[in-house]
Amino acid sequence: MNPLELTLGIMTAVGGFVDISELVFAAKAGSMFGYALIWAFALGTIGMSVFGEMSGRVAAIAKQPVFNLMRHRLGLKLGLITLIGSLISTLITCAAEVGGMALLLNYLTGLPYLLLAVASVAVLMATMWVLPFKWIERTYGLLGLLMIVFAVAVVAIHPPWAKLAGGFVPQVPSGLSSKELLNYSYFIVAILSAVLFPYESYFYSSGGIEEGWGAKDLLTNRVTCTVGFGLGSLLAISILASSAQLFGPINVGPEIPGTTALEAAIPFGKTGLLLALLGMLFAVAGAAVETCMSNAYAISQFFGWEWGRHAKPWEAPRFTLAWIAVMLLALLIVLTGVDVMSLVEYAVLFSIIVLPLSYLPLMLLANDKSYMREHANKWLAKSLGWLFFIIVTAAAIAAIPLYLLTSGGGG
Amino acid sequence: MSAFDHIKIVSQLLDLPIVDKDERFCGIVDDIELSGTAGKEARVKALLVGPGAYQGRMLGWMFWIVRKIAGDRMARVPAEQVTEIGSVVKLKSRAETLGLHQVEDKVRAWIPRKGAL
Repeated sequence: MNPLELTLGIMTAVGGFVDISELVFAAKAGSMFGYALIWAFALGTIGMSVFGEMSGRVAAIAKQPVFNLMRHRLGLKLGLITLIGSLISTLITCAAEVGGMALLLNYLTGLPYLLLAVASVAVLMATMWVLPFKWIERTYGLLGLLMIVFAVAVVAIHPPWAKLAGGFVPQVPSGLSSKELLNYSYFIVAILSAVLFPYESYFYSSGGIEEGWGAKDLLTNRVTCTVGFGLGSLLAISILASSAQLFGPINVGPEIPGTTALEAAIPFGKTGLLLALLGMLFAVAGAAVETCMSNAYAISQFFGWEWGRHAKPWEAPRFTLAWIAVMLLALLIVLTGVDVMSLVEYAVLFSIIVLPLSYLPLMLLANDKSYMREHANKWLAKSLGWLFFIIVTAAAIAAIPLYLLTSGGGG
Repeated sequence: MSAFDHIKIVSQLLDLPIVDKDERFCGIVDDIELSGTAGKEARVKALLVGPGAYQGRMLGWMFWIVRKIAGDRMARVPAEQVTEIGSVVKLKSRAETLGLHQVEDKVRAWIPRKGAL
């Protein structure tokens, strides 16, 4: 294991962990429920580590990305339904990320939102065309590390550490009305969905194959999924904690990313604000690339096309055409003028519904000794895998009723 | 080997990715053509690849949509071409010689060949 590669891998995972949905729900959760929902982020991160590690291991040993095995395990009909569901949910997520980029650029430059959406997509597509996979992943992941300003900011405002630590324990806050209880439940589901987005596993496992992973990379995979995702999640938790301390007590609802950036501006002034906006911009841009490529991976793998950005764009032509189409469709959605925050709500709602169907075939293959040999799931991965499968299935069943009952967490 | 083992082999083949002799992805096992008649031993005669092979595997209206979007082309890969069945099906020839890369080659002509590292 090359220590430099490992460090870069971890840093990329940290910087690439947070996306627009986590930004929005972390800030809103802190403002509405104090520290009481930190555990939902922690739980989701453990789930993401479990499924991410599994998908990376399957990519390294069986050389199979998630969508190949999904079709083989679920069959054509159910596989096609899952593919369509995933494509829709990930496309909405991609549109939300593009809209988020345009919003953040609007704060930074003052130029018109729609013009900035077009410019963002042009830059994203240019980097995806020019750079090979490893550099696409690293460029956005490493620039996203500017988000660390949120972790430093939360330390600087001296939060009540005991209360913050108490947030890691699953809880139902006392004194909530039935309406608030429903909102709290909706936030649990939305946070789990935002942390466990299915595109993250597709992108991660496909990335493992892009980089030619084998058995020698299993330790890198494990460390990236535990340490990298864990530290990345701490950034989201920092946003929640700052929001709990700064916004909750004065009843400020951080509905837009600009409000979230104030968490760094309060302790560090203009510099903090600029770092926060740039960190969010790169994190969201990275997520836009990941969602776009995930959809192209999913389509290409499902139909057995040449795929990957380790190859030149013309060497995997249908894959190239697929990511161009996905990015342009995402832009089209943004250009309709739909509200970015509504896109975020739809993205988490659709994603949690397709999540169980995405993870079941992955678990079945990771359990299968005929493919995975001595690297098949052991008792810990099996138990955690099934536990999280039950959790995401319950969340998927509860998602639509909770969304309707709470008007998307708005009460 | 029992009849159930044969059925298992067929079910394991279906929906597996196919790679050619140069390790390039060139489709999925969309259906299987069997030889033999009722009461006699069935053998895998060919792998069927392409949206045209979905016909027997999905409801009529679903296939109608697929055909409208992707067409109904179908390539037939003789079973003798298969060298290995694992997490992918490996072939002994190049995709082009089996008619498996026609669409890929057609689309390739639309993609400019410059600017990428």
